[in-house]
Amino acid sequence: MMKIYPIIAAIGLLITVVSVLKKSPFFNFLGLLTLIYGLLKSVGLVTAPFPAQVMTMYMAMSVFSLFIYFSIQESTFEALLEPVRAVLADDNKLILRVLIVFIALPLFAGYLTFDKVKPNYEPPVSARIVHPEPVSSIEFRGKPITIIGLENPLRKDAANMAGNLEAGKKIYYQNCFYCHGDDLDGRGHLALGFNPVPPPFRGTDTIAQLPESFVFWRIAKGWRGLPAGSTPWNSAMPSFEDFLTEDEIWKVTLFIYEATGNKPRS
Amino acid sequence: MADVSPSKSLIKGVIKLTLFLGVGFAVLFILNRVLSAPTEDGYRFFPVIGSRVWVWIIAQLHLNFAAFVLGVPIFAVSMEFMSWRRNDERLDRIAYDFTKLFTLAYTLTAAVGTILLISLPVLYPKFIDHLMKILGPTWWVYVLVMYVETLVCYYYFYSWRQMKGSKKGTHVAIGGLLNIMGITMLLITSSWVGYMTTPNPHGVSETGELINRWQAIKSYMWIPLSLHRLFANVVFGAGIAAAYAAYRFITAETDEQRAYYDWMGYTSAMISIGFSLILPGIGYLLGVEIYSFNEQMGIQLMGGFFAWLWVMQAILIGAILMFVNYYLWISLNKMPGGERYFKYVKYLFIVNLLGYAVWLTPHSIALSLEEARRMGAYHPVLGSLGVMASKNTAVVVSYMATFLSFTIFKISNKEPIVSWAKLGHTIRAAVIVLSTAAAIAIGIYSYMVTSAVRVKVLSPIQFGIFFLSIIILFVLDTMMYKGAIVIGEPRWGKMPERSQYALIGITVTFTWLMAMMGYMRSGGRQFWHVYGIVKDTSPDAYLPTHGYAAVVSSIVTVIFFALIGLLFWSIMKLEKVADKGGAQT
Repeated sequence: MMKIYPIIAAIGLLITVVSVLKKSPFFNFLGLLTLIYGLLKSVGLVTAPFPAQVMTMYMAMSVFSLFIYFSIQESTFEALLEPVRAVLADDNKLILRVLIVFIALPLFAGYLTFDKVKPNYEPPVSARIVHPEPVSSIEFRGKPITIIGLENPLRKDAANMAGNLEAGKKIYYQNCFYCHGDDLDGRGHLALGFNPVPPPFRGTDTIAQLPESFVFWRIAKGWRGLPAGSTPWNSAMPSFEDFLTEDEIWKVTLFIYEATGNKPRS
Repeated sequence: MADVSPSKSLIKGVIKLTLFLGVGFAVLFILNRVLSAPTEDGYRFFPVIGSRVWVWIIAQLHLNFAAFVLGVPIFAVSMEFMSWRRNDERLDRIAYDFTKLFTLAYTLTAAVGTILLISLPVLYPKFIDHLMKILGPTWWVYVLVMYVETLVCYYYFYSWRQMKGSKKGTHVAIGGLLNIMGITMLLITSSWVGYMTTPNPHGVSETGELINRWQAIKSYMWIPLSLHRLFANVVFGAGIAAAYAAYRFITAETDEQRAYYDWMGYTSAMISIGFSLILPGIGYLLGVEIYSFNEQMGIQLMGGFFAWLWVMQAILIGAILMFVNYYLWISLNKMPGGERYFKYVKYLFIVNLLGYAVWLTPHSIALSLEEARRMGAYHPVLGSLGVMASKNTAVVVSYMATFLSFTIFKISNKEPIVSWAKLGHTIRAAVIVLSTAAAIAIGIYSYMVTSAVRVKVLSPIQFGIFFLSIIILFVLDTMMYKGAIVIGEPRWGKMPERSQYALIGITVTFTWLMAMMGYMRSGGRQFWHVYGIVKDTSPDAYLPTHGYAAVVSSIVTVIFFALIGLLFWSIMKLEKVADKGGAQT
């Protein structure tokens, strides 16, 4: 199925080139839209396809922007509208008009209706919040801890840094790597069993965007501690306060930053 | 309209304002007697739509009108000042037309304000009691300033013709006073919102007791919010004036009218967009203050529940930039010599389109189960585009392209005569290429540094490069085109009607954006009336969905433009009456 999209892009390119040679802005407009659609969908051949929501946004933007572009000059704008006007008004376009109005448009409306009402067993699309807002304070095994402004106390202990990192590494491979992966890339053995899959720690858009206090809170409380504002939020993260001490959580936090070359947000 | 004497106008202003306040307090008094007592925790309920939605709509409408009547005087007086110094009658006419707009809008602003004045204490008596306890004196200062401002406004408008000529300087000074009053009102109202969202712990205790009133006024977001509102008001006010000009252009009956309103629309739109360049910087300052106050609120607003609104903001601002560029490109048609520059338009369009695509790429995506499985935690491409590093770069490059569209419009009917013109063109090209390359390089480098470096160092440098570049280009063009051969004057009025819809599109989009961003700022408080101090225990103490908020914002925008349409219609009707009577308006 995916292989059809480069063909669609090629058809779009062909329409674009021919319409430029024939000086037809209307078909140029359609050709460019087809080309953009084909190219965006072809991304799925090399990596994960763009989600439907993003495709809709990109295509809506393209329609809006191209319409803007083709209406800058009067002659182009008139030529863009000319085929539409001709189909709607010219006597010699009666058959085409009938085909469009009585066949194509009802078929399209019928397809949209069918698509809307056909049985669908997929769970509904859900919006994801990448970074749920942290709580101000938590109770860690009965001890109140203020999360806002909290810093990793082990960072000040330069003398024992190597030992703490080693301990953090051990904790990671005993507790976290099954889901978050051997390479801290979110591709652990169990990762594909979850939706969404566990986040990677590598890269610039997870722990690199967050202060260590946030990471501490997420490890300690897991899915149970997520704030109401973050729902619906699917997370299978356990509450590690049941298994790890405060000191151990700070050690593993230290390790995941160090191992990925990231620095906590300050 | 303008044949009322200035002294009579003062009496008119006092009576009108007193009437509004009087009616407001009287209705308040009666409602408090007639309605049943509030609930134990201090609420009454508005029928059908609920108290929150009612106050939401009225407050946003009042804010829209207030933004208009505070923003327009700033550039009306600036125009009048320039007309006075340059002795330019056309600038004086546009300043007068702007003044006519905001003077008439005062009545609508006061009417909506009166409804708000009644609604808040009736529906939220306990919360308003608390506000009065902490910030009560500021309310009385507000009323006083409101009187002075109204009087100054009426005097400023109705004395326009009497103070032409030798008294023009004094008239401009009165306009200056009007703006000082306007800014004072803005500071007072921002202190209320600032207190509700980011209360200063040195001003009020956790239990809601006043410690120090000045400190309570001086909340974290007070000044950045005031600055952001001040500049946004100018952008908005100029946008409404541009929409007015567009409306008048479309309905114009003579070429003279079309030429004038075309010029008015162009001038207003450029003021609007020019000032909008400053907004991201001040918004950034506002964000920093919110983070300083409470990191939790900062994350919620920037990356949490409200993250999607930034995508909506990007969609809307991207659309505004497209409209602006479109208007400038289409304007090349009316410039003698403009056809020489059409060849650049397609490149500017491609840059804008790519910038727009990056800017609106979401980081938080709505996914089906299948899509989530295939994509993993982050999409390899979208995950990299939907972050600050790429978005800031896209914004800078898009703004640069828009500035270039403006530049080619400005120079399209001129031919430089300076001996170093060729060198000048080379320097311009070099500045454009180097600054764009630098912005992109910094954007790429931003991926490799800590967020602190990205936020505090690299992003300001990117915007700094942009501002430095446009200053250099502006100075260069001013020098290069001094005494230039003018191929022909702009053919004002020779614009297709669709160009005017772009101006209306800019204003409608901006108004809708204001409503959505207002919801976000207010929603940041979550279930608090005053964050961390006065809890919202009403049935509305939850965040609505973005879809619901978008519907309410849309309704507000529709009501606002219906009222603005009424205002435009009133002006045109008054003009016709005055024309029939032989008086000049």
